[in-house]
Amino acid sequence: MKRRTVYALAMTLMVMIALPLLAQAQGDRLVVALSSDPTSLFLPRASDRTAHNASLPLYDSLIWINEDLELEPALAERWEISEDGTEYVFHLRRDVTFHNGEPFTAASVVVTWETGTEPGNEYANFFTAASLVEAIDDYTVRFVTPEPNATFLTTLAFSWGMVPPAYIAEVGLDGFARAPVGTGPFRFVSRSAGERILMEANPDYWRAGYPLVSELEFRVVPDASTRLAAVQTGEIHIANRLSPDQAMMLARVDGVNVVSYLNDRAYYVGFKNVGAGAGTPLEDARVRQALNYGSDRFGIIAAIFAGQAEPIPGFVIEGNLGYDPATMEPFPYDPERARELLTEAGYPDGFEISMGCPADGYVNINEVCLALQRTLAGIGVEVNVEFRTTNSFWSEAQYGAVGAMFVDSWSSAIGEALPRLEGALVPGNYYTAWEDQRFADMVEQITLTVDRDARAELYRQMHEMMREDPPFIYLYQPTIFEAVNVRVQGYAPRAAEEYYLFKVSLD
Amino acid sequence: MFRYVIRRLLESVLLMLGVLVLVFFLVRLTGDPVSLIVPMDAPTEQREAFRELMGLNAPLPVQFWEYMSRAVQGDFGNSLRRRGEANLGIILERLPATIQLALAALAFAVLVAVPLGLAGGMRPGSAVDRLARAVGLAGQTVPSFWLGMLLIVLFAVTLRWLPSFGRDGFASIILPAVALGFAGMGQLVRLTRSAVLDVRRADYVRTAHAKGMRALRVSLLHVLPNVAIPIVSVLGVQFTYLLGGSVYIEVVFAWPGLGSLLENAIRDADFPLVQAITIFISLFAISIHLLTDLAYGLLDPRLRRA
Repeated sequence: MKRRTVYALAMTLMVMIALPLLAQAQGDRLVVALSSDPTSLFLPRASDRTAHNASLPLYDSLIWINEDLELEPALAERWEISEDGTEYVFHLRRDVTFHNGEPFTAASVVVTWETGTEPGNEYANFFTAASLVEAIDDYTVRFVTPEPNATFLTTLAFSWGMVPPAYIAEVGLDGFARAPVGTGPFRFVSRSAGERILMEANPDYWRAGYPLVSELEFRVVPDASTRLAAVQTGEIHIANRLSPDQAMMLARVDGVNVVSYLNDRAYYVGFKNVGAGAGTPLEDARVRQALNYGSDRFGIIAAIFAGQAEPIPGFVIEGNLGYDPATMEPFPYDPERARELLTEAGYPDGFEISMGCPADGYVNINEVCLALQRTLAGIGVEVNVEFRTTNSFWSEAQYGAVGAMFVDSWSSAIGEALPRLEGALVPGNYYTAWEDQRFADMVEQITLTVDRDARAELYRQMHEMMREDPPFIYLYQPTIFEAVNVRVQGYAPRAAEEYYLFKVSLD
Repeated sequence: MFRYVIRRLLESVLLMLGVLVLVFFLVRLTGDPVSLIVPMDAPTEQREAFRELMGLNAPLPVQFWEYMSRAVQGDFGNSLRRRGEANLGIILERLPATIQLALAALAFAVLVAVPLGLAGGMRPGSAVDRLARAVGLAGQTVPSFWLGMLLIVLFAVTLRWLPSFGRDGFASIILPAVALGFAGMGQLVRLTRSAVLDVRRADYVRTAHAKGMRALRVSLLHVLPNVAIPIVSVLGVQFTYLLGGSVYIEVVFAWPGLGSLLENAIRDADFPLVQAITIFISLFAISIHLLTDLAYGLLDPRLRRA
């Protein structure tokens, strides 16, 4: 009796252990690692780059931003913009169906807008950018924006993944998030939480001949070292977010290529002229210039990033509209000049100032904060670094409170500096700590200028203003490393870390 | 026995209430989830709408009351990040993977440790005994996440014998189970060995030897049953450690269980989910301790009669 119980227990144990299904053979299946489990595959709720990237293959928008960062027709064949820049009319393709067989029509565009604006969506602001979306006929849609909006088309291309109205009405948004349906190159097959997302090629895809692989699998691999191992064994084909050290190690490994590119993310020290920064020496433009001259960004890049980052000249950085390497150069490291400027401003012996730092909030950021402290001590400025956990650093109660200066970074997904300019310099916005009406006016002018060339010129002017009267210490933009199996062809990630996989094939 | 069970039950309930209170306030000390969830360039109105919708603008005592009154009814709320999904459902989805890994780790620990400890303890000073002591020491000193990385590099990258991550069939559970079970194995080896050392001098063992029983039979029939009690009591505690300690190992091996879910939820500032997982694991741990205590009575006839 007793022995039989023990035997039964042992059997149960073995069955429990052997439970997972056997691994499937992987033929023409592209396997991409994700650094975290996507929160949602519904784009307005895909609240980080990982979730966004995992969602992209399921959807298309009306327009697409191609590899050269130009707008290209996608589900819309063409469009017209009104004289005053507040009305858009899109003419839709007539040969597109959703993965569930529903035809793509003007009604789909309207429903995409309506579901996108729900307040529970993290990215509702991408959809409320349109104040009206209406169907003129089955294949013509009219958009209205409250005022001219320079980046409206980019936003549309980036985040308006078209959704099927009948299916949404049937299953609701939560049901949709569990089994999403779009018009994209891949259709959803299954998802296993925390583990994998499986998609298969959409045989009726409107871009004839695409996608180039029959299956696409996302695997959740949170640890960078494990991603590094798995790309070497060939278990995954594309591994993102590797450290410079890991990338250098992989460069010597057969069968793996290392792809690197500059991330469209500006790291900076923000000055405050409100809250803790009011009444400090920072209010003097010469002091802020001095701090820029006195910060050894080149040394920081060499010592902390092994050279794998680029110094930035301002908020308009490489890859951005209006960026011009000939005329835009980073502040040189010039402690002499810095001391002169401090003396002119009336601080020949320097001063003491506090600086907030989001501990472990970014790669190597703690070291960067401490390096800034040392380098600024060289010009007589004593910086008290105040570390905070990221969660409290960015929380509503704290952001304005920590330090008269603070270290932070800001990315842009649209190939323009506008998101960081708007977010960090327009009074009333949550992260704005430097208030200057001239900057705010300039940002507004950029926002309202729909013409691309004119906008590029405005960015250059804005850059000059922010150079003369700097609201930030401009630091660096990091290099991003990804490891890609040699079988992978046609993979091209972009500065905003997003990728489109329909042109990727496996040898 | 009955009064003992009642007392242990009441203690467990009090402990659980303490955990509930602690979890609620600790999570809130870490900051504001809205600023981490809503994108940086979202307008202020959108932030407020989001805060309102998620019930994060109510005064803390009100939030606490809501949370406690729901928790005692077994409602752990909804995830902040995965809109509309109940935390309990999310947890139950991931629980089997964690239990599976913990059982595998436990099986590994027991299957290695008990024979080794038994063999070592029966012949102190022998080569087997030295091995047992070395393994025991290694198990208790080698950090599990480091061991995990080492196993991946050796068995997945260099030898290509086993997958480096994931949950695909039997082969994929071996490395995480070894990494997770290693520490417990070390403790069990030492425990078994020292228990055997005590028992092997007992009269009944000497008698068994004297009547000509073979050494192996003596070990299995007379020594092992008598060292089972301390082993089982440690196993219960070990199992709860394995459930909680699997956070690192699950992350390293991309094992889709509660541990990697917890890590992800903390990174995402998903307060309700972090709370729910912590409560769930505590509940599990408390129950296991309770069951272990009750199991003594079944294993030890002296206790049963008392």
